[in-house]
Amino acid sequence: MATSWGYKKAFMRCACIFLAGTALQLCIGDLNNAFLHYPWSVIAALFYAYLLYLIYYLSDKYPALRKLYDHYACVSALASMVLITIFFGSIAQNSEATGFLSKIGFTRMTSSWGFNLLLLYFTSTLGLGVINDFAHIKQKKWVSVLSHLCVFVILTAGIFGSADKKFIELTASLNKPTSTGVVEDTGEAYDIPFEITLKKFEIEEYPPRLRLINMQDRNASKQFLSIEQAGQSKTFGNWDITVDQFLANAMPDSVGYRAMSHVGSAPAAFVTATNRLTKATSQGWITSGSFIFEPERLQLTPTEMVSMSPSIPKHYQSDVHLVDKKGNERDLAIEVNTPAQIGYWQIYQYSYDTERGKYSTISIFECVHDAWYSIVQVALWLLLLAGVLMFFTAGRRRKENQK
Amino acid sequence: MSWDQLPIISLLSIIFWISGIFFAFKGKQERTAVILSSIGTAIFLVFIISMWISLGRPPMRTMGETRLWYSLFLSIIGILLYARFKYQWLLAFSILMAVVFIGVNIFKPEIHDRAIMPALQSAWFVPHVIVYMMAYALLGANAVFVLYLWFRPKKHVITPQELSLCDNLIRIGWAFLTLGMVMGALWAKQAWGDYWSWDPKETWALATWFSYLLYLHLRQRVKDTDVLFAVSIFSFILLQMCWWGINYLPSAQGMSVHTY
Repeated sequence: MATSWGYKKAFMRCACIFLAGTALQLCIGDLNNAFLHYPWSVIAALFYAYLLYLIYYLSDKYPALRKLYDHYACVSALASMVLITIFFGSIAQNSEATGFLSKIGFTRMTSSWGFNLLLLYFTSTLGLGVINDFAHIKQKKWVSVLSHLCVFVILTAGIFGSADKKFIELTASLNKPTSTGVVEDTGEAYDIPFEITLKKFEIEEYPPRLRLINMQDRNASKQFLSIEQAGQSKTFGNWDITVDQFLANAMPDSVGYRAMSHVGSAPAAFVTATNRLTKATSQGWITSGSFIFEPERLQLTPTEMVSMSPSIPKHYQSDVHLVDKKGNERDLAIEVNTPAQIGYWQIYQYSYDTERGKYSTISIFECVHDAWYSIVQVALWLLLLAGVLMFFTAGRRRKENQK
Repeated sequence: MSWDQLPIISLLSIIFWISGIFFAFKGKQERTAVILSSIGTAIFLVFIISMWISLGRPPMRTMGETRLWYSLFLSIIGILLYARFKYQWLLAFSILMAVVFIGVNIFKPEIHDRAIMPALQSAWFVPHVIVYMMAYALLGANAVFVLYLWFRPKKHVITPQELSLCDNLIRIGWAFLTLGMVMGALWAKQAWGDYWSWDPKETWALATWFSYLLYLHLRQRVKDTDVLFAVSIFSFILLQMCWWGINYLPSAQGMSVHTY
């Protein structure tokens, strides 16, 4: 009976927190954590950690405080996180949404008071549990202590550090130094504390692809012919398509296309299509086109044609020259998955002029300011280690249970 | 090798797997059962590696490709659990599930794109997907075992060893989920600038992670096996939502970067 009542009270506490959050949402709107900028974010995080320690310290004198981190609190907080993530995962998240669901914050998970208060409660229960783990470290499994600690650090950094993150989109033109970008959320101009000069931009593309287009439903065939050389062939439905000639870089001329490596050149192929049933044959040039000339397709029947899809980038990279405020200079290569790091800033390869494709003269970067980067990285790597160590402890627990 | 060879390779694997199951049920033929089943799995592994080489990229991008890994890991886990605990039926069920997923790939083939976008060309891609598939397979094996225990014959009394097997499958499966999630976060930071973006797949992955964690915490106090089994199966349903269910969820349409 006591056990059942313990769970009931703990779950009611979670329900009250969520309801209070929803009421707050109705009264004052979205949660705005913009005030949590450095140094206030660090001060708030330290104060929060101290508060947790104080609650734990006082729980000897006031046993009621233990209800914040006992088994029932832990289970109810976990179950609440399961339910609330399912709840928000089932509702389309859209910051532009209107209507009742939007008014009570259910369409904006990260700005919802209900979600954030429950997350804070869960993190607090976890934090108190971590302090309890360290207070009784000899009786605890250290892999479990490590994973608790890492998750607590990650969540605390997420709660108190999110407002410190800045996402700035910066467009750099070839050989023109720039340090002004725009804040991604608001579109406001923002000066980053270093200057970027784009020295070179390169794209490696996948081989061009031929597809059969059905003009009636405007669908392209899922099958495709990836052209790497002349002589390749593929069957699309009743059509055998053969590539007679392939030019990786071509420009149109009076008789068709000729090989030319020039700004704006594009791949072109001369193909023959033969219908297996009617033996009808069609021949002609096909190209994906570029920003200086139109694509060309081969019409087979009034409802079918062969087309070359626009080139797909395989890899792209920017060579940049960076100068920080102290005058330190660096030459770096920035590509997708390999950002550059300057102090608390990371610079990501974001995009380019997609209309010009490989002839783009600009490169678009995303500059991210994340002062909590190091602490979260350490916590994540330690959690990775804890995950690996769990395999060993799983076997040990089985033996202990059997004893 | 390509998808065209999947039916014949699968047939070969299935012949060896069925032979292994036959010897497992025959009794006192454990070694033969393990060897035959392992040959079936090895043939399937060779097929996946050949696909990897011929595609020029790891076959992990589409739903059909992830099903290949799921079938592989299910068979591996079934064999390992049989070798360790001698449950013939667990070997049979794991192999049956592996065959069902192979069947889906044969009868509902998905055309596979050769291109892989730059953000996916990361050192994290392969381990992230493999550990998740491993977790899915372990937790799938656990779900089968839990359903067996839950709807057991009346005379069957659940032993501590059987509950311990459930716990260990979930504990190891959850460890794999943790590895997958952390690798995903580190990769996302490297590729997109933030660890977590509340993408629908991420939200459901977190719900699944919390739910299995709830089981592990409940297990310390709760003795009622019905409650434990219910939480375990509920978590497995969340896992299915995370893996493929969100593809059909109206709220997740067009919002996920985890497109299969």
